[in-house]
Parts: sequence; structure tokens; C-alpha cells
Amino acid sequence: MLSLPLYKKELKGTAKTLLILAAVAALYVSVIVSIYDPEAMALFDQYVEMMPGLMAALGMTANAGTLIGFMSSYLYGFLLLVLPMLFSMLTANKLVARYVDKGGMASLLAAPVRRSKIVTTQAAVLMTGIVSFIVFITVLELITTSVSFPGRLDVGKLLLLNFGLLCLQLFLGGVCFLFSCLFSDGKYAVGAGVGIPLLMFVLKMLSNTGEKAKIIKYVTFFSLFDSNGLISGNGLAIAGIFILLSLSAVLFYSASIIFCKKDMHV
Amino acid sequence: MNAIEIKNLTRDYGADKGIFDLSFSVEEGEVFGFLGPNGAGKTTTIRHLMGFIRQKTGNCSVNGLNCWERRDEIQKSLGYIPGELSLFDDISGSDYLRFIADYRGLKDLSRMNAVIERFELNPKGKIKKMSKGMKQKVGIAAAFMHDPKIYILDEPTSGLDPLMQSRFIDLITEERRRGKTVLMSSHTFEEVEKTCRRVGIIRAGRLAAIDSVDALKAKQLKKYTVTFENSDDARKFCLEGFDAAPAGGNSVNVTVENKVGKLITALAKYNVMNLSAPQLALEEIFMQYYGGKKNA
Repeated sequence: MLSLPLYKKELKGTAKTLLILAAVAALYVSVIVSIYDPEAMALFDQYVEMMPGLMAALGMTANAGTLIGFMSSYLYGFLLLVLPMLFSMLTANKLVARYVDKGGMASLLAAPVRRSKIVTTQAAVLMTGIVSFIVFITVLELITTSVSFPGRLDVGKLLLLNFGLLCLQLFLGGVCFLFSCLFSDGKYAVGAGVGIPLLMFVLKMLSNTGEKAKIIKYVTFFSLFDSNGLISGNGLAIAGIFILLSLSAVLFYSASIIFCKKDMHV
Repeated sequence: MNAIEIKNLTRDYGADKGIFDLSFSVEEGEVFGFLGPNGAGKTTTIRHLMGFIRQKTGNCSVNGLNCWERRDEIQKSLGYIPGELSLFDDISGSDYLRFIADYRGLKDLSRMNAVIERFELNPKGKIKKMSKGMKQKVGIAAAFMHDPKIYILDEPTSGLDPLMQSRFIDLITEERRRGKTVLMSSHTFEEVEKTCRRVGIIRAGRLAAIDSVDALKAKQLKKYTVTFENSDDARKFCLEGFDAAPAGGNSVNVTVENKVGKLITALAKYNVMNLSAPQLALEEIFMQYYGGKKNA
């Protein structure tokens, strides 16, 4: 149930954003992986001792002994959360709200293509971008670790970790997409689609900073993605990612219902 | 059968904006002019017909299909030019047209190419950098490419120069001969009188008049501005018994119904420097038609 011409056009339109963000991610991932070694580890642990608050806010904790633990601490607390989220924020708005706001939506509606097909296509474009991003990161991680530290990575755990990340990013994509469909005014679509995930992310960073702030973690959906929990095989952490996955389905579905039923003043 | 049917359609946006209890229909094969000043509710009506917005009170249908529920079926045989043309800015005109053809599942591009040729359009450049007239031509090509049975055109000639406007009128005339139905909105009477058989006038969201172009023209008063050599002549002319009013300087505005010959005879006695017929605003035609009753 996709419009192939639309899907192709939109993929082309989002490729640039995706490539830039993926390049940034690639740079960081390879740098972080390459600096993994016991000496550097000790240095990082020193930083953590010197300024525990700041390092914790960035999701970096001590005892990152194993390679996967190291990656979990230094990549999955900040960078790999933010970059794909940025992609969703930019793309989701472009796929629906901007068309409605600027009037280009009239071209899409004035054709024998059902609205459900249009919105499904646009959602598929966003999901394709997110999935490609995470797959790219996964492949890159597998390559860089096998070059620098052959045999030291627990591949099964990395795949689980990245599946969890994918669930989180699909959920975030769903939030952005929902607001893109809900608001006809680009201002509000961007405001809510960027503002709410960003607020949740800031709350997550705050909740990392100390015992007293821990309570904040119950109000931010980022807590459902617990990278260290996933690595240690924690049941709650695994439940969390499936909750994220189900919620993202609900979000995308609601967005498409809204899109089909709303008045378009284009 | 009526190709387009609107029954008691109401959409109240508050503050007297919107459309109110609007009813009219366009027969199959008819070219219908939809006239109204800016903000009268033409675009709101058209958005209903296109299935962009839901009918809250009353209903409308195209080819007997409900405009909201069956919108994608209706679009198969409908060509549309939006009032505020907003194409995708970031691609070229030819990419846009190729995309629309693919998106519609259209293989045969001969109609599209014919329109491009007729309007001497070079669609190669980026849409962002196109002039308003160029964009309008791209919009026309997109609306006509699939040879639809019904056209809904929201101020289709805006931005076109007079030559292209007249080519557009030729195109509509041809389509009418081919049995197509057209609903065309405009804010000037001159534009629709050349193509349309019937005209509906909308004002403040309400249908103010609906009649044939010939009937509207017959009732139309003619207004002229006459400039005399001196103010004495102008003053003297005002006493001739015409519906005349001084228009400043040596000029006089005179309104006649069908006694144009009598006016010419009377003017022959004077030294007339200039005689012009200012284009009547739609509002004036409307006022004449209804003898000045505002909410008739």
C-alpha cells in the first residue's frame, strides 16, 4: 500500500540529511571504538571520578570494562540517541506538515491516490531512513571492532542493543510524525515534534546526574531504552524496548488516522 | 446528470467568514463561471469539491460521488488548478510534471506535451526560480495532462500575460467542444464572459446571483467617462438628461442602459477630448444586477 513514485521522490529528498548525519555518526563511532584500550579506559574512569555529574549526564559511567560495555557507555548514552532523533525531527516535519503548510499537499491530494496511501508512504520513508541509519551504524560497529579488536565484541549483545536503539528511534520518529500530521501549521508541528523529544532527552540527562534526580527517569520515555540493562540481559530492559516498539506502532497508526480525517486548507 | 452538485453547503469560520447555505449545480458539458470578490468563499467551496475539507452541513458531489468519501475516485477524471499554486519548490518543472504523471499512473504524456507547447513553457528550470506566470503554466500542464472529464480551476489565468490568457481561453473553448465540464473561478467578469455559458456570483459566502452570461450582459449598464474641452461643456452636458455625474476636471461619468446611440448623438454637439469605458468591478455589476439591494 505504497505509492512508489512518491516513495522514490521522498527518499531522494531525505537522502542528504541522512548522509550528513550518518557521516557524523560514522566519524564518532570509529573514533570511540579506536580509543578503546585499558589505558584510555583508566583515563575515562579518572574523568568520571573527577566530574561524575557531567560525565553521567552524557551517559558515561565507569566500569566499562568489556568492549560492548565501553560502547554502551560512550555511544549509546548520547550520540546514537541524538543523531537519529535529529533525522526524525527534520524529516517528519518535511514529509507532512511542511507540505500542508506550504500548499504542496494540494498536488498530492489532487490525484487518484487515497490519503491512507499517501500517509503510509510518508511514514515508510521516515522508517526506511531510521532503519537504514541503525543498520549502517551496526555494520560500521561490526567492521571497526573486528578490525581493531577482533574477537573481543559480543556480537549477539550488540545486535540486541541496536535492536533496542531501533525501537527507541522508531518511537521517537512516531512522536515527530504524529505532530507533523496533527498540526497544519509548520510552526506548531516543529515546536511539538522537536520540543517534546528534546525536553524528554534533557530530563533523561538530568536523571543521570545523581541519586536525588533519579526520580525524573520515571517521566521520560528515554528510560525505556536501558542500554546497560540490555547488555546484562535484564528482563525489564527487554520489556522496555518492546513497549517502545508497540508505542511506535500506535503513534504511526494514530498519525495516519489523523491525516485521513483532517481538513486540509491547501 | 449534473457533473457538480452542491446542496445547502455551509462552512462557518466565524466572523461572517466561510460559506453559507450554498447551492448550485453544473451540468455535464457546461462551462460554469464562479465569480466573487476576494474572500467571498470561492476557494472554500472548491476545497469542498476537491475533498480537501469535510462537508459539515449540507453536501456536495462530483459525478454523483460524495466529494469527501469518494475523493480518490473523483480525482481519476478531474483536473485541478489550485488558487494559490504551490508546487514543490526544490525540483525543476519537468521533474515535477514527470512526478505527477508517475504518481497518477499516467503513461501517455502527449496531452501534457501539447499544453507545454501551446503555452511555450520551458519547464527545465527549478520551480523556485520561476516567475508566477511560469509556475501557472506548469500548474495548467499538471491539470490537463490526464485529459480529465471535469476541470475545477481556481483563478487559472492569474499571473499569465494577455497573450497566454487568450490561449488559455482557446484551450477552454476547445475542451468545451470536446464535451468537458468546467468550473472556473475568477474575480473579473471579463474573463468568464468569453468562455462560460452560465455564471454564479458569490458574495460574503452566499450565492448572490446565478444566470446565463447573456442575461447578465443584457442587464449590465454601460458606464463611460467623457472628457470635454472645458468645464462649461461638462456642466452643460450634465443637463442633457442622462444619468451623469461630474468626475472632476472636465470629465463626466455617464451611465446608460441601452441608449448608447442617443449618447453618441448628444456628444456630437460637444468638443469631446476623450471617451473611455472603465472596466466595471464585479461589485458594480452585481449592484446593477440587483438594483443596489445589498443582500438580495
